[in-house]
Order: sequence, then C-alpha cells, then structure tokens
Amino acid sequence: MREKVIYALGVAAALLLARNLYSIFMVLPDEASQGMIYRIIFFHVPAAITAMLGAFVAAFASIMFLVTKNFRYDSVAVSVTEVGLAFLAANLVTGSIWGRIIWGIWWTWDARLTSALVCWLLYAGYLMLRHAIEEPTARARIAAVFNIFAFADVPIVIFSIKWWRTQHPQPVFWGGGSIDPAMKSTAVLNLVALMLLAAVLVLIRLRQEEVQREIDSLRRYAHAVV
Amino acid sequence: MDTRNFTFMFYGFLAAWLILVVYVLMLVARERKISDQIKSLRSMMDFKDHK
Amino acid sequence: MGALATSRDAPATGRAAAAGGFVAGMRQSLFVAAKDLRAEIRTKEAINASLAFAVVILLLFSFAFDPSEDQLRVLSGGLLWIVFAFAGTLVLNRSFARELPNDCLDALVAAPVPCSALFLGKALANFVLVLAVELVSLLVFGIFYNVRWYLQFWPLLLVLVLGTWGLTVIGTIFSALTVNIRLRELMLPLLVYPMLIPALMAAMQLSTQLVNGQPLSADVAVWLKMLVGFDVIYTALSLVLVDTVLVG
Repeated sequence: MREKVIYALGVAAALLLARNLYSIFMVLPDEASQGMIYRIIFFHVPAAITAMLGAFVAAFASIMFLVTKNFRYDSVAVSVTEVGLAFLAANLVTGSIWGRIIWGIWWTWDARLTSALVCWLLYAGYLMLRHAIEEPTARARIAAVFNIFAFADVPIVIFSIKWWRTQHPQPVFWGGGSIDPAMKSTAVLNLVALMLLAAVLVLIRLRQEEVQREIDSLRRYAHAVV
Repeated sequence: MDTRNFTFMFYGFLAAWLILVVYVLMLVARERKISDQIKSLRSMMDFKDHK
Repeated sequence: MGALATSRDAPATGRAAAAGGFVAGMRQSLFVAAKDLRAEIRTKEAINASLAFAVVILLLFSFAFDPSEDQLRVLSGGLLWIVFAFAGTLVLNRSFARELPNDCLDALVAAPVPCSALFLGKALANFVLVLAVELVSLLVFGIFYNVRWYLQFWPLLLVLVLGTWGLTVIGTIFSALTVNIRLRELMLPLLVYPMLIPALMAAMQLSTQLVNGQPLSADVAVWLKMLVGFDVIYTALSLVLVDTVLVG
C-alpha cells in the first residue's frame, strides 16, 4: 500500500515538474530587467517554502514524540528535517548563483541569507546530535528537545537579523509586489511539485528509518536469545 | 551579459537538481546498508536454527 | 502566616502553596549553585582553563589586526563576545560532565530536588563563573587595547548580565543534553553557537557602543529588548524541558 502511495506521488511529482519546466523555459518570457536568470525564482522560493514547512512538521513531530513516546514521530522528525535541509541547501545555492548575476557577488550578509544559513546550521546540528547518540530512546528524546529549541530559535533569528540589515528584495509573490499572473501560477504549481517531491523523499526516508529500527530491535533480540 | 545570464541560470538549475540527486544517492546508500544488515541478520537466524 | 493562609479560600491557599514552593525551589537552586561554586573554587579546573583561554585569544587578536583606535572602535563588541562565548563554553562543558564520575548525576537527579531547581542552580553557578571570567577579560582588554570601557560601566554591566544569562541558559541545558554522548566537548559548541546567534548579535551591537564610552542610543536600545526576550523565552523553555532531558 505504502509503496503504491510513494509511486503515485512520485509519478505525480515528475509529471508536474515536466509540465512546469516546459512552461518555465518555453512559454514564459524573459523578465524585463533581469533577463533569463529570474527563472531561478521558480525553484528558489518554492524550495525555501518547502524547507520551512519541513521545520514546522519536524517541530510538531518532536513535541508529539515527547508527549506520546511513539517512535513513529521520531522517525517523522528526522526524515522531514533531512529532506528540509536538502531543500534549504538548494535554496541557498540557487540564491547564491542568482546573487552573483544580480548583485555581482556570491554572498552577502543580508538578513534573509544570513537567517537561512543560521537555520541550516541549526538543523545540521540536529542531525549531528542524532548521529552522536547510540541508544535509540535517549537519541529520540534528546533530539526532540533540541528540535524544539531550534524551532523556537528560527523566528528569533529571522527577526533579529532583519533588524540588523536587509538587502534581499521583499517577497515578490505575496508582498504586494507586481507580478505577472502567469509567472505566479507557474511558481505556485512548482511549489506543489516540489512539495510532492519532498513528500516522496520523506516517505522513502521514513520507511528506511522504520526498517532500521526493526533491524536494531531484532538484532538485540537475537543477541539476547543466544 | 546575455550568455553569462544564460550560463548562470543553467548553473542554478544544475546546482538545485544536483543537490537533490546527491540526497537521493545518500538514500540509496542507506537502502543498501539496510539490506546488508537484513542479510546478515537472516544468516544469523539461519545459523541459530541449524544449531 | 500559616493560619492566615489556611483561613483563606481555596485559590488563595493554592497560591500561597505555590509561593511556598517557589521559595523552596529558589532555596534548592541556591543550594545547588553554592555546591557547584564550592567545588569549582576548590579545584579551579574550569575557571583557570577558561581565563587562560580568554587571555590567549585576547593576545591573538593583536596579531589579527592593527589594534589602532578607530579599527578597534568598530570591532570591540564583536571581539569581546567572541572571547566570552569561547571561554564560556569551557566552563559550560564541565557543568554536567563533572557530575559523571561516581554517578553523582544520578544521585542529583534522584535527590528530592526538582530538576528545574537543579537546572536553575547549575545555570546560576555557571553564570557567576562566566561573568567573573568576562569581567577579568574586560579588564585585560582595557589594558591591552587602551579601551575605556568603564565610562559606561553600569549599562555595560547590564548588557553583560543579560548576554551572559542567555549564554549560560543555553549552555547549561545543552550541557545536560550532551552529557552522556561521545564527542561531548566537540558537540557542545557546534550546537550552542548557532542557537546563540541572536543573543550574541544583540550583545555585540550594544557592547560596541558602550565599550567606546558612548551612551546607549535609541536605535541600539531595541537590541536590549531582544536580549531580554531571548533570555525569557529560553529560560522558560529550559525549565519546561529539563525534566525530559534529565529523567526522560
């Protein structure tokens, strides 16, 4: 059943991505002031939103783990965080390449860039912390606590760095900026496509995590029986 | 400027997909590790059954 | 007082009991803090390492840039807080790890002291130690780099207290988180620094002005609010979650 869901979501994501790529490269015109390069936005922004959604889901799963002690929530938290980190990395790298053309520099210590980087480091710390703990129960508990701390830090980081400095343009899609409706609908569709892709990756990772847990407990059982 | 614009757009998309491909490869590596573990577990069980 | 409390209606007694619990909790925290400080004063293992480390970094900075007046004016707050954060983790690393030999940590958790009081006590002890290291490094910084930080001493002390509390709260709870894992000394800074960035940034902005003898201006004062907010949020969150961390 789960296999079928994964395949179905994967096919849907692939079809939608193919359609979006066609309209991004073949249908939509160049942007007036930026030329071709603006097309990066169709991956840049949806990747960031997907990663942010991942942070919300991971925090929710961590709280639920601490409440219920159900290890499934722990698996959800780690899977979602890993996939979210991959998407945030894609967001950072595409942003950097875009900035090289528009701003003339690879990196600037602007509010959004800096907060994205700090969030990336925070959640990378989460994965490293998990890696350092052997015992499954302690790992799940401590990782869940850390995740809650990290999630609480995200808004503080974003607001404090915003006070600090801002160079990044304000959001063009929802910030009241003017944007062509065709571009907006493509961006929304690509957001859906990337979220489907993220869901597929999360489901695969989730299954791996559960199989790994099963193997570990079987192995402990086997050692105990001998 | 225009060709540079085009190459950088290409780099951007390439990098985004490359990161996802690397992540998928990491998933594949983990999958392989898990199936190895299952294999060794199974042989351990067989060994015990024969004993 | 006891008769007064019992003669009131139920919510009032509840409140009185809560107040009593609060006082008892504070007393227990102070007890734990006193124990930690006494142990530290006897061995001086963390504070000596931390102080020596702070002085060495302060010395190294003089090679990193030309310590002339105007360069230093821009950098001073940032430099100071980098020193404080680095030297602070040396103290914080030891906070829970020192209880590991002889299973003292298990005894402490099993003792009739709530984990929140235990955490608060440890945080207080760390706070005092880190603040002491900071004041000494400030003195050394002033002498080495000819900075007249004492012109705005009281506001600077306020910033130091707020920033250090943020540092110690995060550091103490993460010290408890990482106490049982391998690579503890390595993991703590990796986890603590990214999380501390908002607090450190605020403290750096404020200190840069104060260290140079300028009073706090209105546009910088907003960082003071941010620092207070950070402290309140993480103190509350740590007190809620510390039971989960230590007991499970």
